[in-house]
Amino acid sequence: MQAWLEWARGPAFVFSFVFLLLGLLRHVALTAWEVAHVWRRAGDKKLPLGKLLRTTFLWLLPLTRLRNRFWFGLTSFVFHIAILVVPVFLAGHVALWARGLGLSWPAVPNAVADVLTLVAVVTAVLLLAQRVFSRATRSLSRFQDYALLPLIAVPFATGFLMMHPGSNPFDYQATFFVHVMSANLIFVLTPLTKLSHMVLMPSTQLVAELAWHWPVDSGSAVGRALGKEGDPV
Amino acid sequence: MTRRLTALKTVLWLLAGVLGLLTVVRFLRGLGATTALTDTAPWGFWIAFDVMSGVALAAGGFVVAATVYIFGRERYRAFARPAILTAFLGYAAVAVGLLYDLGLPWHILNPVAHPQHHSVLFEVAMCVMLYLTVLFLEFSPVILEHPRLQRPLLVRIHHALKKVTIPLVIAGIVLSTLHQSSLGSLFLIAPYRLHPLWYSPYIWVLFFTSAVALGLAMVISESFFSAWLFGHKPRRELLANLGRAASFVLLLYVALRLGDLAARGQLARALEPTGHAALFWLELGVSALLPALLLQLPRVRSASGGLFGSAALIVFGMIGYRFDVCIVAFARPEDMPYFPSWMEIAVSVGIVAAAMIVFVFFVEHLRVYPPERLPSDPCAERAGTVNSRLSTLDAPPGPETVRPLLVGPAAAPRRYSLALVLGASLAVALLPATALFGEQVQRTPVAAPRMLDVLRLPASGRPAALVLPGDLELRTAGLGPRPALLAASRPERRGSVAEGDPGLPGGHTQGEPVRALLLDADRDGRTVLFAHDAHVERAGGETSCGRCHHQNLPFDRASSCGSCHADMFLVSDTFRHQRHVERLGGNASCTGCHDGAEGAKTRAKARACDDCHRDMVVADSVVAPRAGGLDGHAVGYMDAVHGLCVSCHEREVAARPGELPDTLADCGTCHGREDPGRLRRQGPYLPHSARRAQGLSTLDPRPSTRGPRAAPGPYRVGARPAE
Repeated sequence: MQAWLEWARGPAFVFSFVFLLLGLLRHVALTAWEVAHVWRRAGDKKLPLGKLLRTTFLWLLPLTRLRNRFWFGLTSFVFHIAILVVPVFLAGHVALWARGLGLSWPAVPNAVADVLTLVAVVTAVLLLAQRVFSRATRSLSRFQDYALLPLIAVPFATGFLMMHPGSNPFDYQATFFVHVMSANLIFVLTPLTKLSHMVLMPSTQLVAELAWHWPVDSGSAVGRALGKEGDPV
Repeated sequence: MTRRLTALKTVLWLLAGVLGLLTVVRFLRGLGATTALTDTAPWGFWIAFDVMSGVALAAGGFVVAATVYIFGRERYRAFARPAILTAFLGYAAVAVGLLYDLGLPWHILNPVAHPQHHSVLFEVAMCVMLYLTVLFLEFSPVILEHPRLQRPLLVRIHHALKKVTIPLVIAGIVLSTLHQSSLGSLFLIAPYRLHPLWYSPYIWVLFFTSAVALGLAMVISESFFSAWLFGHKPRRELLANLGRAASFVLLLYVALRLGDLAARGQLARALEPTGHAALFWLELGVSALLPALLLQLPRVRSASGGLFGSAALIVFGMIGYRFDVCIVAFARPEDMPYFPSWMEIAVSVGIVAAAMIVFVFFVEHLRVYPPERLPSDPCAERAGTVNSRLSTLDAPPGPETVRPLLVGPAAAPRRYSLALVLGASLAVALLPATALFGEQVQRTPVAAPRMLDVLRLPASGRPAALVLPGDLELRTAGLGPRPALLAASRPERRGSVAEGDPGLPGGHTQGEPVRALLLDADRDGRTVLFAHDAHVERAGGETSCGRCHHQNLPFDRASSCGSCHADMFLVSDTFRHQRHVERLGGNASCTGCHDGAEGAKTRAKARACDDCHRDMVVADSVVAPRAGGLDGHAVGYMDAVHGLCVSCHEREVAARPGELPDTLADCGTCHGREDPGRLRRQGPYLPHSARRAQGLSTLDPRPSTRGPRAAPGPYRVGARPAE
């Protein structure tokens, strides 16, 4: 188990983390390139930049969307806070960041981290439940929409057990291994799934806006690309 | 067909990703961290493959150019463009590969900046440089044909280039002939290092002949490969003719090679049962004999498999010939074998992959092959790509709209950039620690001391001298250096000077046989003799072990120094965490050592070892236990032993001035066999007498004159490492 743990924290982690960084960089580069490409070919080049910036920031502030689906929006907001704060600001993780990067920053108190960890697990379950029990959401959901939530809950649950070894019924090193490997898996999946919204989210408003600036008759080209030429819209 | 191309391009981009990452590592960390090259093996895989084989593999360019433009065989014109493109990319790969191999890459300009006109390498460098230019000019009309480049100036350049085609081709043939042969001439400088089966004063003839055959074989294999890749029919009859020509060149090459060996009287070596002879025949068989005979058979020539197989044999065999000359048959020091690191191989493979990506790009966008063989309509493809890529950007995408867009040609940039990223990530994960974090400190495990019989020479007012049997000896300070050849370990000669021995140091004829420890913890051959029994006596007899053995393993009375100070220079960890977890009852026991259930469980927040292991620390030891309790770290062996011995000697000198020599705490007391000047130069310490004058301990390091790395950190017992 010791050797497996070393592997998970060593080469497996290095692979996953570099894949995460380069993969997200790839998304940013592709988006920039594609946006530039569309902009060059755009029929109408007048972009409402002020409105775009405003909607982008408003979109990033989830409170504005609470009007729409209050409970879902609230759960999602809390969930995001928890899963962003704990991996970066947990004291144990800060020590790891310092060892790996040589950079250090203040950590949140362990009690706060404990609460946020539990919040992350609970909100993940709640989000999944709201997805499963709403017919409209269900019809829009793909496999990854269901699978990613429990996957994200795993490192938080195992991390909590590691911080409270007295109440951990499993072997410490096995828990550690599952903790590290589930996080590695999330890193690898991030550039490949909707988790890449962590870098693509700010560009959504711009991309959506650009679609309104396509040259005349682009619709038929889209139809061709989709293989649905001639289908009624 | 498209699927083949997509699969191949995906793999190529993956390899290019590996190359990209390794490029960063190579130029950030240097050759030492990425290659197996050393000062005794200064060239290896990169030179053998990138340069030696790369230049030869690109020989197809000048061979086909000569066939078409000089000998006027217009039938072969269809091969000219791909062959010249292959040659251009091959030579570009050679130049790029050299940048990796040169320790200071900008020195690639030195042949121009500092021309050495007597040097063969100068000729090779100039020829390769000029030929790369010629190849670019030869190929640029293909680029200038592109519809987007029909500007007046470019059109004029295009016409001018077409007019000078023949001079360019002639220049290309001359330059190729010069440097293809000169690559062999490079080895004329090392007649005694290259094995006689490969060395020849006419090795340049062999290199040139083999390059011509290899060029023809490359045209054949490249044609079959691109036909398979792009889905058009290979021109088998023409290729069969090229194969026949290659076979004659190969027969000439075999005749030259064997004839040269026979003329120099070295042919008998090929018949000796040695590894080199076997390698010679294997290489000659695969590269020349077998394919030459196969290509003589019309049945083999007319079959695609036979033709392609024979050409592949030539290609692999001739690469083998270059490797043999460059690495395998080139004598290196016996204890310094060279085997390339995976990163060397991956860089070479990556450069080839990158060249192939450019080749495919040119084929897809230019008229490299005759027009009827274009793979598909690029315009239609491009329109589809752009539009469908656009719609994938909308977030959040619905379930059914995304998947069909991510397969097929529409997703090309996404697919290939993903392969690139995957390759780079895999390469990072496989990097050795030296490449990731820079040069690492090597561990130097401590070896146990040996117990020896030695002679103790009588001394008055001075510490007694110990003399070793054999050619080893130890003298305390004050005795001059003199070899003593004794056989004190033999019982019958104990305690006396043997007949014929030059005598004992200091004119002694008698010595008292005693036992001593021979310390050579890092096994570097520089030893210290330690009179263990005498120290036991001085420290107070049998019960005094703990004076020096300040901590012991469970139930042990005098654990040896190396059982905890297990590395010569680095801090060792003596604490076995998993063992404690198992013995103390699993998870529930964490709080037994770590304070509180909350918080990160680090060593800093754990109980000291001697909280539980109370017997571990010896009460009356001269080594004070670490303030704040033991934490399981043991300093390096050298620091530990210096700390114990030197500080005790210092105390003794201070306590009994006049009775003991002032030099008792100097390096030479123990390291008597070392040259004192050398000890002063190497050691981190100032001479004791100089230190005493300043009221300092011998153990304080000398002031640094060359920055922090010149002098090791302060040596103190119980120094705690930075965590």
